[in-house]
Amino acid sequence: MNTIKEALDKKSDGLCYGNRVILPFKASFLKVIIEDDIITDFSTSSKGIYIREDENYTDLYFLEIKDLKESITKYENIKMVVVEKGDDIFNIDNHKKIALYIGEKHNVKIEKTDDDILFIE
Amino acid sequence: MSNKFLKNILLLLIVFLFFGTVNSLAAVKSVADTLAVTQAEHISTPSLFMVLPFVILLLMIATGPLFYKHFWERHYPKISIVLGAFVVIYYLAILKNDHILMHTFAEYISFIALLGSLFVASGGILIKVDKESTPMLNVIFLLFGAVISNIIGTTGASMLLIRPFIKMNRERLRPYHIIFFIFIVSNVGGALTPIGDPPLFLGYLSGVPFFWVIDNVWFIWIPALLMILFVFYIFDKLNKTEYEKIEYSNKIEFKGLKNLGYLVIIILAVFIDPVVIPWVPKLPFGLPFGIREIIMFGVIYLSYKGADTEILKANEFDFEPIKEVAYLFIGIFATMVPALELIAHEANVLGDKLNAGVFYWATGSLSAVLDNTPTYMNFLSAAMGKYSLLVTEKAQVAHFVSVDQIYLQAISVAAVFFGAITYIGNGPNFMVKSISERAGIKMPSFFTYMIKYSIVILIPIYAIIWLIFFYGKG
Repeated sequence: MNTIKEALDKKSDGLCYGNRVILPFKASFLKVIIEDDIITDFSTSSKGIYIREDENYTDLYFLEIKDLKESITKYENIKMVVVEKGDDIFNIDNHKKIALYIGEKHNVKIEKTDDDILFIE
Repeated sequence: MSNKFLKNILLLLIVFLFFGTVNSLAAVKSVADTLAVTQAEHISTPSLFMVLPFVILLLMIATGPLFYKHFWERHYPKISIVLGAFVVIYYLAILKNDHILMHTFAEYISFIALLGSLFVASGGILIKVDKESTPMLNVIFLLFGAVISNIIGTTGASMLLIRPFIKMNRERLRPYHIIFFIFIVSNVGGALTPIGDPPLFLGYLSGVPFFWVIDNVWFIWIPALLMILFVFYIFDKLNKTEYEKIEYSNKIEFKGLKNLGYLVIIILAVFIDPVVIPWVPKLPFGLPFGIREIIMFGVIYLSYKGADTEILKANEFDFEPIKEVAYLFIGIFATMVPALELIAHEANVLGDKLNAGVFYWATGSLSAVLDNTPTYMNFLSAAMGKYSLLVTEKAQVAHFVSVDQIYLQAISVAAVFFGAITYIGNGPNFMVKSISERAGIKMPSFFTYMIKYSIVILIPIYAIIWLIFFYGKG
């Protein structure tokens, strides 16, 4: 099982099927931004997202979206603030900002957000 | 651009072109010949019930994104087209008045060509300001945004400047930064030229001379802008957010120079109109667009195809906002036709009871909650109705402007200024809100925006403007 750092270093891709994104790492989620929805409720009663952890990957279900490929266009992304499992969540230096780009053939590109991408935590 | 969207727009164009060509060939008239059409063609006043599609559409635009977001997002194109088609059929089948429809459709094409080209061209430009923000620097930035919005439109300026503004302020960013940006760059700033804000452009298309706005509005624009900037300065001065000092390079980076050239082409194209420059040829077969619109649509294609993909990625470029404007405004343009005619008729009856102050507050309050473009047209129609003139006739609009300035001043200023009162008052407001939220900034809700910011800050300023410039006049 990859850490976030390993997944980014290895440039591992995720997968996307309908409203489900599969990420090749485990993480603690602090904030997810999809289109103009800012999701911070990750409880089981969340209306925006359902997160399920498997042994080797993490499933994200975007509950208000039918098909991510249709909703998130070529230059758009899904942004998230995540923390490595086991790291101190209260230390802001451990907060990682990443962006997901939905590509062809169910591919999801995972990138650390660079200076060009506007992302206020 | 999604294929579905392109197909729908093409289908719409084909339908309208079909009507246009058939009607024009039959009448051997082009759209530009409408100037010669006499009032005799307008003897049939539409039924009051035909205002209903317009009211329904505007109410749905106001309430849809707030109360039934997902239904609205899925179905707004169909709703807009069906309501518009209802009015189109009524005019064709009952009133047998195709002239006014073609005139309106030509205005729609010009309107969407300008907005679309500004939107796409500015989406291919990236400005990076790596400088620590201070209240004074923010004031200068917003003032610059206000001026530039008259050259590239409030839509273009908002698209271009909101990201650097957020970045500059990222360490001490509060929602009021975005809200004042909406007040100044997305609205009030753009009151000086027809390119500035959509209602003024529609006024220009209807016959208001291009430089009339700056000549007659600058002395109202300056005090209004200075008052808003002063309030912003106080807010920003009181912002004592503590943050870790970081190193700034103090560099300003500009990427996408090619697209800046496209913006210049768009601005120059605005003047390429047979009415403005007599030697500009009209297109044959009564086509509802001219060389200006062909240039603008060409810019949309070339600036998108030639844009740097890294810039588009950094701007998270998406056609959705302009697609929404294209769909909604085709419905608005079609459904507002009977409303415009009826308001002109009523204003003619009411006559002297309508003074400049009434026009200022009525245009303003409706521009705040409805879209400011149809509101401007409705009240221009009403003001012209006082003189038994029709807004659908360019020559009559030009005559009206030369007869009495105060009403058009009040309507122009109010339509632009009051667009800032709500998120739905002007197109760029929602775009700026959406970009900010996509950047992770929690923006105030529809009502919080009004109660906490726009009503408290803007209404007193607009009341001062009314007292100085419009009270007891007209």
